[in-house]
Amino acid sequence: MIDVRGLEKSFGDKVVLDKLSFSIGHNDIYGLLGPNGAGKTTTINILCNLLDADAGTISIQGNPISETTKQLVGLVPQEISIYQDLTCKENLQFFARIYGLQGSKKADRINALINELKLNTYENVKVSNMSGGWRRRVNIAVALVHSPAILILDEPTAGLDIEARYELWELIRNFKHSGVSILLTTHQLEEAERLCSRIGILQKGCIIAEGPLDKLRTLVPAKQIAVIETADEQVLCDKARSFGWEHRRYGGRVTLLLPEKYTLKDVVNKFNGIPLSSISLQEVGLEHVYLEVTRNHSSDGIKLTPTGGDK
Amino acid sequence: MIKLLNEIMAVTNRIMIELIRMRRGLIFWVVFPTLMLLLFGLIYAGGSSTTKSFDATAPGILIGAAFFFSCLGGPVALIVAERERRTLRRLLVSPLKPVSYFFGIVMAYLVIAFGQTIIVYGIAFLFGGRFHGSLLLGLLIIVLSVFSFVGAGFYFGSRFTKRTEDVNGPVAAFGVPLLVLGGTFFPVSILPSYLLALAYLDPIFHMNQALKAVSALGKGMGDIAIHLIFLAAFTVFTLFLGARSYRSMLRQEKKG
Repeated sequence: MIDVRGLEKSFGDKVVLDKLSFSIGHNDIYGLLGPNGAGKTTTINILCNLLDADAGTISIQGNPISETTKQLVGLVPQEISIYQDLTCKENLQFFARIYGLQGSKKADRINALINELKLNTYENVKVSNMSGGWRRRVNIAVALVHSPAILILDEPTAGLDIEARYELWELIRNFKHSGVSILLTTHQLEEAERLCSRIGILQKGCIIAEGPLDKLRTLVPAKQIAVIETADEQVLCDKARSFGWEHRRYGGRVTLLLPEKYTLKDVVNKFNGIPLSSISLQEVGLEHVYLEVTRNHSSDGIKLTPTGGDK
Repeated sequence: MIKLLNEIMAVTNRIMIELIRMRRGLIFWVVFPTLMLLLFGLIYAGGSSTTKSFDATAPGILIGAAFFFSCLGGPVALIVAERERRTLRRLLVSPLKPVSYFFGIVMAYLVIAFGQTIIVYGIAFLFGGRFHGSLLLGLLIIVLSVFSFVGAGFYFGSRFTKRTEDVNGPVAAFGVPLLVLGGTFFPVSILPSYLLALAYLDPIFHMNQALKAVSALGKGMGDIAIHLIFLAAFTVFTLFLGARSYRSMLRQEKKG
């Protein structure tokens, strides 16, 4: 569906994309993760034919990027980029017309989208009178009005409350069944974990780890994670090392990479005598993968170092 | 061609809906020229018959007080709003052609301009004023004026304004002196010779003189040829300038 090969882009001396390659298949939800400045927005701009790449190729359904591939791409920008003084339906009508939809085809598509995104109550309400969650829905509906083959969602739930976020996740999951391929960029790892069939972690313009979540989990040398808060971090880390357990320090807490599955009681007993403020056991998740991969990445590619200790 | 027309109509339709929804702006675009017409018409009448004063005042007020603010200030504000609302970026992702976008805006402001023409001349008519020349010729001058103003609005909007607060600055700094020099509010016969010579470079002067000649004096094409040639050249120039500045703005937007 989408094939990106060896994409390169620099702004002056700053290399933003460095031989970036990935592909998104039919019905895939591909999550592109990475810190600010990793190259996500530049990748999106090139996919939308807003920017030219310095090198590399992109094809969408076998077509190289051009003005004609604009019909195949639907972009949901991070900001609400719709006309606030127009109603939901008027926004859809405007964008449908500029994408060349006319007559009954246009009306049918708009009605279908309004139903699909449950916008019926708001179809004749001015966007400026809607809440943030509903505006996001209209923002997404506009990107879908021309039935694109690929939908690009640029941090679609940024700034939404938890309820609106869950509703939007449900909506995005449903798109998968409608045959559209999705590229999702997000800072929220939970979002990627819940929605994406494949995930690519982008750092300094190249993918440093990629695959389904289950495959990515294997990049963390642990069967289970223990997150511990204690005043005696050094003592705890020394003890963990004596068990052959690797440890990391993230966000003021010690993260232990447990090679086997343990009960909470087992772990607490292991650190008998060390005052623990809090302890929790977690399954290996995307957060751990992300931290591990970005931590160990060097310019040579992925380099996981199972030697333990902080760097 | 049908696709292009459809795109133009989509943009025009959208702008018209937005303008109608922002009633206050539309009302001011009517109130300002109406008040200016009444004031100057009555001042120039000097207590006697208003027929001649409204004949003479209506064209200048239409160009300077009506079109200037709607067709120049409007596109500037529109472009700034597209940038601020990030809709410009969305349009760039779509297959909408810049030429469709531009002509869509021109069409919308032509509709506004025709509405303002009907109101200004309607009021002038009530005070005895008349349109003495060819309506078609008057229409041609109005269309050229609207194109010029919108082209210039594109230039100012894309070149000098990034935020809503920036809109009034360039319009006031460049536009109001041109209004005064163009003889919008008083006859250019009172200008000293060196300012009159300078006025010949002012497009608003040619809009005013051409429309006054046709509307108030019933002059024909031959009598206003110089003004029409200047206006046509200025229209082409501003369209070129506007398109160039717009392209440069798009390049900046594409970079994000």
